[in-house]
Amino acid sequence: MSTTNPAPAGTAGTAGTAGKQVWTELRGLREGVDLGTPPRDGEPVTLTIDGVETTVPAGSSVLLAATVAGATVPKLCATDTLECFGSCRVCLVEIEGRRGYPASCTTPVESGMTVRTGGERLTALRRGVVELYLSDYPASDIEGGWSEFHTTLEQVGLTDGLPADHPYRGGDHHQHLAVDESNPYFLFDPAKCIVCSRCVRACQEIQGTFALTISGRGFGSKVAASQDESFLASECVSCGACVQACPSDALIEKSLFPGGYHRADSGQA
Amino acid sequence: MSFIDTERLVTMANQIGDFFAPYPHARRVEGVRNHLRNYWDPRMREAFFEYLDATGGPDVHEHVKEAAALVRADTAPVRAYAGPPKQLDATS
Amino acid sequence: MPIPVKPDNSVVTTCAYCGVGCGFKAETHEGRVVRMVPWKEGKANHGHSCVKGRFAFDYYAHPDRIRTPMIRASIDEPWQEVDWPTAFAHAASELHRLQDTYGRGSVGAVSSSRCTNEEIFLMQKFARVALRNNNIDNCSRICHSPTQFGLSATLGAGAASQHFDSVLQADVVLVVGANPTEGHPVFGSMMKRAVRRGAKLLVIDPRRTETVDSPHCRAEVHLALRPGTNVLVLNSVAHVVVTERLYDEEFVRARCDWDDFQLWMGLVGDERYSPEVVGPEAGLDPEDIRRLARIYASGPKSTIYYGLGVTEHSQGSTGVMCLGNLTMACGMVGREGVGVNPLRGQGNVQGGSCLGSWPHMLTGYRFVTDPEVRGSFEAEWRIELDSEPGLRLPNMFDAATAGTFKGIYIQGEDPVQSDPNRHHVEAALRSMECVIVQDLYLSETAKFAHVFLPGSSSLEKDGTFTNAERRVSMVRQVVEPLGGLADWQITVGLMNAMGYECHYDHPSEILDEIARTSPAYSGMSFEKIEKLGSVQWPCNTDAPEGTEVLHTVQFPRGKGSFMLTQYVPTRERTDDQYPLLLTTGRILSQYNVGTQTRRTANLAWHDEDVLEISAGDAAARGLATGDRARISSRYGSTELTVRISERVNPGIVYTTFHFAHTMVNNLTSNLDDWATNCPEYKVTAVDVVKAAAHAGVGS
Ligand code: SF4
Ligand code: SF4
Ligand code: FES
Repeated sequence: MSTTNPAPAGTAGTAGTAGKQVWTELRGLREGVDLGTPPRDGEPVTLTIDGVETTVPAGSSVLLAATVAGATVPKLCATDTLECFGSCRVCLVEIEGRRGYPASCTTPVESGMTVRTGGERLTALRRGVVELYLSDYPASDIEGGWSEFHTTLEQVGLTDGLPADHPYRGGDHHQHLAVDESNPYFLFDPAKCIVCSRCVRACQEIQGTFALTISGRGFGSKVAASQDESFLASECVSCGACVQACPSDALIEKSLFPGGYHRADSGQA
Repeated sequence: MSFIDTERLVTMANQIGDFFAPYPHARRVEGVRNHLRNYWDPRMREAFFEYLDATGGPDVHEHVKEAAALVRADTAPVRAYAGPPKQLDATS
Repeated sequence: MPIPVKPDNSVVTTCAYCGVGCGFKAETHEGRVVRMVPWKEGKANHGHSCVKGRFAFDYYAHPDRIRTPMIRASIDEPWQEVDWPTAFAHAASELHRLQDTYGRGSVGAVSSSRCTNEEIFLMQKFARVALRNNNIDNCSRICHSPTQFGLSATLGAGAASQHFDSVLQADVVLVVGANPTEGHPVFGSMMKRAVRRGAKLLVIDPRRTETVDSPHCRAEVHLALRPGTNVLVLNSVAHVVVTERLYDEEFVRARCDWDDFQLWMGLVGDERYSPEVVGPEAGLDPEDIRRLARIYASGPKSTIYYGLGVTEHSQGSTGVMCLGNLTMACGMVGREGVGVNPLRGQGNVQGGSCLGSWPHMLTGYRFVTDPEVRGSFEAEWRIELDSEPGLRLPNMFDAATAGTFKGIYIQGEDPVQSDPNRHHVEAALRSMECVIVQDLYLSETAKFAHVFLPGSSSLEKDGTFTNAERRVSMVRQVVEPLGGLADWQITVGLMNAMGYECHYDHPSEILDEIARTSPAYSGMSFEKIEKLGSVQWPCNTDAPEGTEVLHTVQFPRGKGSFMLTQYVPTRERTDDQYPLLLTTGRILSQYNVGTQTRRTANLAWHDEDVLEISAGDAAARGLATGDRARISSRYGSTELTVRISERVNPGIVYTTFHFAHTMVNNLTSNLDDWATNCPEYKVTAVDVVKAAAHAGVGS
């Protein structure tokens, strides 16, 4: 069986200038499919994913190739409208002849590669990583949620037994940080932020406003608008690219909360 | 009563004249003729002609008056086109 | 529990706010729109959006929406609610009465760029078959009519030569009289992306806008010219191209009329357009003009994007021609990454422009004075058409004040607020005996109306929009029309009441009629647009899936034409009494005259129109940021709050015109473009003084 990447069509012309590359990236985007990383238009490269021979343009990521091959690789910090970042380590795969478990979103395809995207070992590793994120996510906001983060939880088998077994009980969390509701249209709830930096990158790469940064380090790192201002007071132009990019409902449209936004968890009003 | 204020019509006509002014004479006149014929409501043209008849149009560019005369005399089929004024074979 | 409501339905549609025409998924929950999500496959936006399309959709359900037709005998009387048939019958009988009394040409119609292609087409059909005249105009009259004129004259097609994505392949991007990051945000983002990837940015604009200097995006050359000197400066750029022999002779010989090129070289090559002569007059360093010309001409791929800063001048059409000439001279047209492109204001201005909503042209920019063109429509509509051009909107108002124009049917426009010289427009409307307004709200114009027909927003109907890159995309009904009828149904109702029988089951039948009568649309249908997602015209047998880049092989007329673009200074001059030049613009969170965005939470960013003034000019008048100032021109005056700004040069002041109560169009002149009557919004001589007392200080 063999599949080809359907994305970069209609790219006649001379070989890739930087500009042309973006052009291909944008045109290769498809609704309903998240390729994980932006489509490219290099020479065809053939590799094997879970036994399926797959051809994608050079410059594509293993994550993209896996998606094209029909595999589902859980991911959090990657999406096909943004350049890969490689911070969450959820998209781990096995590549024959390589040590360890490389992140598929930051690994470019090579001809003849053999990739495995599933198996117990990988699932256990991924679950371990996602559990860390889950432990910091408000327990009351898991059941009934439909964000990308919630999908990832399901993919790694972490939704069973929740919320009773929520690993965060007693652990460290971000629920003391106030919700920023200054923008009339969307809010930012730091308690739900997994610091994937997709919003920051969307603001830079897609919108080009550079209003967001990740300030602080480690557990203390958080999304900041301009010089740690409210979203409304910041350079933010409210284009919505960050909201669109956020996988975890931390940045979200207010219109989806008709009765207003009220935190329910751990004594928060 | 004029259909539209004559001062306004004269301003418009002269502005059109100003644009075509750098063309050689025959094309300059044709440019204005083509514009008046294809862009102006006939009642505006009529009001403008009446004004010219009544006053001789002391404040109207010479080539605009020539063009106005061409529009009035126009019995041939209308030439409607965008783009630079064309050289007319015969000007009346 | 803050679990977000999960939408239960999603409809792909097109944003109506600006000429980018972003694709969106309108997501509903129990029949109400809960969010607009940018559509990743939308070819204009690729999943991106701006604050207007993304968030400011609540206007559609605003309590100000009128849901019932209303009539009244005079504008001093209260409105009387009636049903649709009564409203149609009343409006039709009034229009008939006026035509019987004052003549067939005493009434007219205006279409709206907020409406769909199908609705715009129907409006011009209404004028031609129901009013039996050509008094039909559209709102691009006051913004981009010079584009249609100037680009038709030079390149032969009055529309953008490229698709938006083309900018990503450009090496040089020249922005003239536009501020895409504010006016056309999603395209602005794409342009910035191109600049971050190495494209050089050149800007010609009186203001130091966000486009000129923002994080990781800075203009290589910015010509902050004096408002009103566009043609002078563009001729000077051409002068450098000609005298330094930077033009592409091979391209010009192959593709353009060589004799007209010679004539043009003679004009712009003249010493009076040398940067050294032009510089002082336009307030520029001659060397900057030379640098800009050299960078543009050397490309290898240079593209031009321009906006209202070019068109809204007494030489607006000439300015557009300057751009057309320049692209041809440098061979910067007919491939990816080059071209000349208008950035259009309202959602469907391109549609308004190409669907025959003109007093002198039918669809596809073909003259009503051409018997063959008329013939094809007469066959389709089974009625004889008026062979003479009708009145443009400004001339309708001129005629009204002269007492010779008596009735108007205005669809989705608010000329009292958006057109220049408000006093003149109000006087004109007041002198009319029947003003029919079809809109979402009781607009400023509706104050002068005798019939009010509640219109439908773009969320309430099916149809298509054509964006600034000629892309025709679907507009889909998400919710039921609040007033019961979609705009196209209203026009059909009125047409029938006027005695012209016509019937459509669905807007797709109107697009079919457009395809039958308009060469550029001949291959279009709802089915095809559904299938391909969107289609760029021309779409016909030669290009069944549409056309991304125009002029690749030849220009529509064959050879491209260089037009002679002599600089004629505007009559609007500063003097001792009015020493400052006012220029106007728009800002991101508000939409043109803001009838929709002012009814949304976008007010959080922009709750009034502010006057930007340089520090020196402010100091000389004892003004500080936050003060109220009275701005007076030769035509009127108004009050605004002052903001001292480094964006404007000394001698220049700037404001937006989004709010009715600030009445900025009180100030603007009655001067307009020589070819199209597009108003000169960009140049008004004014004076600014500190306001006497605190008369209604804004927020
Ligand atoms: S707000 Fe959302 S997108 Fe931004 S870093 Fe947090 S989780 Fe990621
Ligand atoms: S207003 Fe323009 S840029 Fe913004 S979402 Fe709508 S079409 Fe796109
Ligand atoms: S998705 Fe690959 S590291 Fe996050």
